[in-house]
Amino acid sequence: MVATATSRSSPVGGPVHVGRQAAVLVTVAVYSVLAPFGYAVLALLCLVWRRDPVRRARRLQTITSRAYRLMHGWLRLTRLVDFDWRSGADQLPRGACVVVANHPTLVDVTAITAALGGAISIVKPGLYRRAMIRPLLVGLGHVEGPGPDPIRAGRVVDDVVRHLEWGIPVVIFPEGTRSPPGGLQPFGRVAFEIACRAQVPLVSLGITCAPVYLSKERGPFRPPTRTPELRIEVLSVDRPDGSTNSRALRADCEARYRAWTDEVADGTSGS
Amino acid sequence: MSEEQLAARIKEIIVETLALEDVEPASIETDAPLFGEGLGLDSIDALELALAFHKEFGVRTQENDENNRQYYHSVGSLVKFITDKQAESAASES
Repeated sequence: MVATATSRSSPVGGPVHVGRQAAVLVTVAVYSVLAPFGYAVLALLCLVWRRDPVRRARRLQTITSRAYRLMHGWLRLTRLVDFDWRSGADQLPRGACVVVANHPTLVDVTAITAALGGAISIVKPGLYRRAMIRPLLVGLGHVEGPGPDPIRAGRVVDDVVRHLEWGIPVVIFPEGTRSPPGGLQPFGRVAFEIACRAQVPLVSLGITCAPVYLSKERGPFRPPTRTPELRIEVLSVDRPDGSTNSRALRADCEARYRAWTDEVADGTSGS
Repeated sequence: MSEEQLAARIKEIIVETLALEDVEPASIETDAPLFGEGLGLDSIDALELALAFHKEFGVRTQENDENNRQYYHSVGSLVKFITDKQAESAASES
């Protein structure tokens, strides 16, 4: 692909590929048409499978993860984001565990869910309480986040620990928001408290996207000239027991992430 | 208990409950933020503190109270929160 012939400069973050901008518009159009249909199907299935919440959540998670696999297949086909959910999927855990990850892009959660085959997440209260979406989120087993009230974290921990008994992994971004380019925000403790309380494995995933795309700084309508490669790798697996302190676990995990981020930054700057 | 004594006791509870190594209670500034910057506490710490305050002062922190973040902002705001709650409780008993 001859980037120079089809690219123009962007005010922030380097040149933009005009061909990919067209692909973004097509993707948004296709999503706008298909999303209401998808929501309607999920809402219908929530009603049909309402008797057994655990079975419903497992089935809906399987459907959602397949939809995300299709979505990432499309993004790969259109060269917007190169991510193969099969790559390294055998290293990922199955069953109840807490998965933590850095959060460089908008599609991290869809990529992780596609690779894991389903995952529960903690959703911001503003989104969780939307009347149209709430039944689907409840059906999928997602949990309402604490919002700005620090005391509600206890209820979130209890809810997630209970949902882990359903055998579905829980994905949490411990930074609570998207990571800054090449860096990390401070980690919160909720994910680590959940892993300690439920005594399930804590799986740390490292996500990279190069060149940077779908970040806070570089939105969907400014695709870079080179196809962004999204990669997920397992950094570590901790197995907390009854004596593990969530504060220490968080500190260890955050230190490992910071070392890994430095390594990635060194590799990028050296290449 | 005066406000100064209460502030000193709250600082001791913070250090004891959260097992903060290398932090002397007296070194915690009364008006400095407890979360994020400052002492760097998080929501799970707040939860542990809420339980400790209930045990020590009989003051219950209600979930879904939109002022919780404000109550737990600093030692100074906690002093006000605890004295207000204790006064409310005394008024309802009398």
